Amino acid sequence: MPEITGFSFPNDIHVTWSLMIVMYPYITGFVAGSFIVTSLYHLFDRQEFKPVARLAMATSFAFLLVASLPLQLHLGQPQRGPFVIITPNFTSAMAGFGILYSFYLLVLVLELWFVWRQEIIDRARRSRGMVRAFYAALALGTYDTSPEAIEIDHKAIKILAGIGLPAACMLHGYVGFIFGAIKANPWWSTPLMPVIFLLSAAVSGIALLILIYQLFARIDRRPVVATCVSALASWLWFFLILTITLEELELIVMAYEKSESWLIISELLTTRLSFSYVTMQMIVGGLIPFILLAVVVLMNRYLHERVRNTLATIAAFLTLIQVFSMRWNIVIGGQLLSKSLRGLRSPYEPEIFGREGVLMAIALFVAPFVILWIFDRVLGIEEPEGAGGHGSPPAGQASAGTPAVTHVP
Amino acid sequence: MSDCHDGCNGSRREFLSGTLKLAGGAVVTVIGGAALASSGSAAGTGAPLPGGGDYDWNEHLWAYLVDTTKCIGCGSCARACKAENDVPEGFFRTWIERYVVGMDDSHVDSPNGGMDGFPPVQVGFVATKAFFVPKICNHCRATPCTQVCPVGASYRTKDGAVLVDIDSCIGCGYCVQACPYGSRFIHPATHTASKCTWCYHRITKGLKPACVTVCPTQARQFGDLKKDGDPVRAVVEHDRIQILQGHLLTEPQCYYTHLDKEVR
Amino acid sequence: MEHGKHVFRIVILVVVILTVVLLARGFLVPKTYGLYGRYRGANVGEQMNIRPVMHGGAAACADCHGDQAAKRTAGAHKNVSCEICHGPLGAHVKADGTVVKPPIDRSFTLCARCHRKVAARPAKFPQVDLDQHVNGPVEGKVCLQCHDPHSPKP
Repeated sequence: MPEITGFSFPNDIHVTWSLMIVMYPYITGFVAGSFIVTSLYHLFDRQEFKPVARLAMATSFAFLLVASLPLQLHLGQPQRGPFVIITPNFTSAMAGFGILYSFYLLVLVLELWFVWRQEIIDRARRSRGMVRAFYAALALGTYDTSPEAIEIDHKAIKILAGIGLPAACMLHGYVGFIFGAIKANPWWSTPLMPVIFLLSAAVSGIALLILIYQLFARIDRRPVVATCVSALASWLWFFLILTITLEELELIVMAYEKSESWLIISELLTTRLSFSYVTMQMIVGGLIPFILLAVVVLMNRYLHERVRNTLATIAAFLTLIQVFSMRWNIVIGGQLLSKSLRGLRSPYEPEIFGREGVLMAIALFVAPFVILWIFDRVLGIEEPEGAGGHGSPPAGQASAGTPAVTHVP
Repeated sequence: MSDCHDGCNGSRREFLSGTLKLAGGAVVTVIGGAALASSGSAAGTGAPLPGGGDYDWNEHLWAYLVDTTKCIGCGSCARACKAENDVPEGFFRTWIERYVVGMDDSHVDSPNGGMDGFPPVQVGFVATKAFFVPKICNHCRATPCTQVCPVGASYRTKDGAVLVDIDSCIGCGYCVQACPYGSRFIHPATHTASKCTWCYHRITKGLKPACVTVCPTQARQFGDLKKDGDPVRAVVEHDRIQILQGHLLTEPQCYYTHLDKEVR
Repeated sequence: MEHGKHVFRIVILVVVILTVVLLARGFLVPKTYGLYGRYRGANVGEQMNIRPVMHGGAAACADCHGDQAAKRTAGAHKNVSCEICHGPLGAHVKADGTVVKPPIDRSFTLCARCHRKVAARPAKFPQVDLDQHVNGPVEGKVCLQCHDPHSPKP
């Protein structure tokens, strides 16, 4: 039995939303975050992101395939999960999620198909037998790689990216909405919640790409493009500043208003969440990477490439911890607090084994990387040599007739 | 609605415009149209009465009334509830809170939901008043719990009870989070949401909820707002009544008299 | 659009998948879903008979135990339902008519639940300060030695 300080409503002492519900926004965040990066290239023509554009799209896809699993694992009646689509109740934010998820999955799969179509056709032409049949089926039986067809592909990619970006943002904004729209819980109920979730999704997506871009480059023995890492680092810095500002503003407003819930929330933060909030979310995951990234961005010119990459890597790793802590503090923290606003329960400790345990959470985090590996084997994440090369826009892109957008947000 | 596939007719659109006054409604319009097509909604008109018996849910509108000055904290209600509804150990469909209040401080407790009564308590301040407050699901009219149910497993009946369909509930726990009163829990055996039903199996047979039946001091009362001369209706109509957490605008149908400001 | 063949094919594929999903959905929606609102209408009837009625109320007890009931309703415990002390009627008379002897709780804790002096009880309600009861402290002693629960006198 958990220990209670103060008074909790007797049913409020159970943590109904477990570690899986922490993993769910964490993983969905990578989906949205990496899609934002790929859109910076595909939609806004930021050439510095070209080296990671395909990787980012594949990452978004890999995490998306896993994104609904934590929810599914959490359900008391997992076999009834499809009811969310079969008999959706549209006043529920969660029913909306099921439909948004399916919609985004559709858009992303279509975009992937257009981006990788040439690659699929090449592989179909190169292989024989069953393998050939597989790629031929993936190509839907048409091998048209004429410049006109490629031109059509680029237009389709542009359109899909244009739909995909708002869809990805909605998908993750909705995750924040699931919490932000619960008026019963003062620690969740704020219109800032979807915004904070969205911004921290961008943080986690960019941070993850800094890590896996360098990791994959090292595995494939390819050079790491310096401009790409420093561009990612500066965008990471930008989003980190926004995220932490909003996270703090939310608290400052609550404290300054002396809202009825502030008493219990301040106690929550200073006792139950002092490690995960103050130490991890604010200092280790917030302040330190902020300083490291400030060095990378402001002193870019003076830094040796290796120093810059190392600093960016450390900062990216720490911000991943920041985002995880933020999810934890929202999801778990919100349940340590009773709706009586008079009591806190003792900290929640997830089980190790079992459906909603720590090992499952780790498996969920690792699974997208396995999917990425399979993706790389089947379709090849990196563009094959000679199909454009780093830094220069591909032929189709340049002639697509869309003016390059250089200033984003 | 451009990609609405198999014939979106006018009446369905009208229905949609009514149901989609919510966040994210626009995104789900397409599938929503199909959802309604297959459910063939008659929306209540002409549909047979549920249950098939003599009970007509159109003739009743239930309400609950608690007079906190009458409660002696014996916990008979919570024990009766457990026996009537087979409520699992450690979870509560109803419970009793004890408030001990002074000018500077207050103390609240509810040992085992008040099931075993209340032992005397020592507080570290000068207590000037003390009282018990029975708690139960408020069966809100604007209920935040059924609002968030993703599958329509929880709903409010025409006679005003908020129920959970345990054969449809997916056990996501969203309603548990959304209830401001802590009235819901996930049943440890069925892994679905569970809560007070106002003893729907009793009230539809002309009985009172178990907690009201056993209350020795009439601190808990149950009545019908559609019935002339109903004592609960008379209080709700003419007396000064309170509700819990009124600022959340959930329109509770569990009314209180003589509630203290300390009670949330 | 002679080069747009692949676009045409993928669009057809998407439409086919969506149609299959929507059709499959139609079969899976429960029959009475939407009958009264966005829920499975049949559940309302199920809820009416979800479990047997356990508590019959004091009047039901009086059908068989008229003498006890008359005594009780004449005394201070007139509003104390039989089932508070003896447990629910449904556990005493089973649905098939078999009768199980109900527990008779003679314990101190039963009485103490209502009558031990606790600050939060209404002041008018009869309460016992256990430290100063008749001949000194009585914690844990059996109240029924002196008091008749069906017609208690102070």
